[in-house]
Amino acid sequence: MADSTTTRPRVVRAVSQIMGVAEQQVTDTSSADSLDTWDSLRHMNLMLALEEEFGIKFSDEQIMTMSSVGRIVAGIDELLR
Amino acid sequence: MPLKTLAEIEDALRRADLAPLPSLDLVILRNVVLEPIAPYLRYLAYGMGHNARVHFGEFDQVFQEAVGGRREFLNEETTGVLLFTALDVLSWNLSRNFSALSASDVRREVDQIAAFIDAVLAGLRRQTPAMILWHSFELPLPPALGILDGQRADGQTAVVAQLNERLRSALAGAGSAYLVDMNACRARVGAASFRDARYWHIGRAPYSREALREIAQQDFTFLRALKGKQKKCLVLDCDDVLWGGIVGEDGLGGIKLGRTYPGSAYYELQQEIVSLHHRGVILAICSKNNEADVWEVFRNHPDMLLREEHIAAARINWRDKATNLRELAAELNLGLDSFLFVDDSEVECELVRSVLPEVEVLHLPRDSAVEHRDRLAAAGWFDTLTLSEEDRLRASSYKAETARTKLRGDSPDLETYFRSLEMVVQIRPADRLSIPRLAQLTQKTNQFNMTTRRYSDEQITRLAAGGSSDVLGLRLSDRFGDAGLVGVGILRYEGADAIIDTFLLSCRVLGRGVEDAFLVQCLRRAKARGARTAVAEFIKTAKNQIAADFYPTRGFRPVDSGAVQRLELSLDSFSGSEPAFFKRIETFEDLTHTKE
Repeated sequence: MADSTTTRPRVVRAVSQIMGVAEQQVTDTSSADSLDTWDSLRHMNLMLALEEEFGIKFSDEQIMTMSSVGRIVAGIDELLR
Repeated sequence: MPLKTLAEIEDALRRADLAPLPSLDLVILRNVVLEPIAPYLRYLAYGMGHNARVHFGEFDQVFQEAVGGRREFLNEETTGVLLFTALDVLSWNLSRNFSALSASDVRREVDQIAAFIDAVLAGLRRQTPAMILWHSFELPLPPALGILDGQRADGQTAVVAQLNERLRSALAGAGSAYLVDMNACRARVGAASFRDARYWHIGRAPYSREALREIAQQDFTFLRALKGKQKKCLVLDCDDVLWGGIVGEDGLGGIKLGRTYPGSAYYELQQEIVSLHHRGVILAICSKNNEADVWEVFRNHPDMLLREEHIAAARINWRDKATNLRELAAELNLGLDSFLFVDDSEVECELVRSVLPEVEVLHLPRDSAVEHRDRLAAAGWFDTLTLSEEDRLRASSYKAETARTKLRGDSPDLETYFRSLEMVVQIRPADRLSIPRLAQLTQKTNQFNMTTRRYSDEQITRLAAGGSSDVLGLRLSDRFGDAGLVGVGILRYEGADAIIDTFLLSCRVLGRGVEDAFLVQCLRRAKARGARTAVAEFIKTAKNQIAADFYPTRGFRPVDSGAVQRLELSLDSFSGSEPAFFKRIETFEDLTHTKE
């Protein structure tokens, strides 16, 4: 069953791959404000990649509000619950 | 190369050493947000050995970028320009307000879009010779008038289809410009998954991840063909690919192959293979088997669609497949990178992948035979930008040449040999269908080519349409096959002179009297048009020595020996006749001279 202990590493890996930063640099507070490469276009790529990774579909509202790793993990867990 | 997830692709691209690869510059002009397509395009380019640089034009600035110019990325070096003009943005009226429009409103919108298309193409062609890929307009789903829409010639569906037709014909006139069928992409992905309303509303990005992946793959089918990276030869395993079971163990009667299940899966795969053969794909066999067992199936199985004559080369033995593939490449004079290798065995596939990474491998597992036909057909490995008649015939010409050589050895003299070939020559003026091939011949023929003047489709079209010239094409077939269009003659009429501007034959049909039959026909045509003197031109090149004494030995008298040599023959007394060994010579006036 999915919970944040299995969700987080997968999110971190996706953020690292899409934003082009090392996994160690990605924390719960990593966000569009803290990472230079996290712009609106990369945000879209990240959302697409996460939907592919987890086989889920975010609502448009989630896409707009999941602006940090912590919020993304929580949002995904919500969908998987 | 199988496509990975978006995150894996981004990661693989970051790790790959792209810098040393030749660059592939793509420019995307669009009226929607498409940035997420870039990783797919770059990854596909990497798969064919290129480092793609993807430049995006400004959002909804298609016209400005095309006509105004961004020389830093639209220039001589650009490989491809990808155009995305979603109707939702291009014409709100046609896409979202259709039912409120009058017939004249619709006409005005359509004309405006057609003018936009023409202006964009003209603008692009001023800036770059790059391949242009214009993504077609998506048919409305659901259409504006609901179930009524499809009943009406002025429905939204019909109007969008008409726009696509205008686009298609505009592209056809722009040279190296192609329509990418978005409706076919949508059908393959599934309409419900093609667009993503969330990203459309959030960021004017209409297409789903699956759609972008499919569109990128479709674009690369064109780009591969442009770069000559498409596959040319299909190398087939036999047991559990062409038929079910092992012929060496199950015997001719025991293998699965026929019109009904389970043999129908293999039968339909063979249909697809034969159809590829007719598109010019070269077929080869690479099988671990006793050779005699395999050929027995080819010769004697009643449901075997694939025949020996379809197979250009075979390696049926117990050696490893990598060695056999290398030998096949050498025998067929093809690069290994033009091979698609098909096998049911994971082990064989892995061996080829690791030893010969340049060979594309298609693994068709034994337990999914019913899907094999679709898998072979779907990928577009062999797609080409043009399909000339000659491409269709090329695959069989290998076999025919072998048969001709044998017949020649059996004939007591040349004349008997020529007669036994039963050659049929057809001479026809250029028309819409033959023009691309005639232009191709002027561009490719080097040896038996009197003037080596290279003409584009456009130039041939003008010469053929002009009242003071004739463009003639020659087709040749014989009892072993059809060689297709292999000769071009261009005559220009000036006063009483018929100037032979171009006279060429593909060298694979030389030495069979075809050149004489063609010359006689050209001269007869010139005389019929009232010319009194034939003026042949000859331009010496490093490669056309074999053509040098053609005119002098046919009675032409040199009159001018500049860079363009001129030789004359009076037509007043001309009554030449073709060699007698042709079975038939058909001229463009449909006069048939049957010999014998």
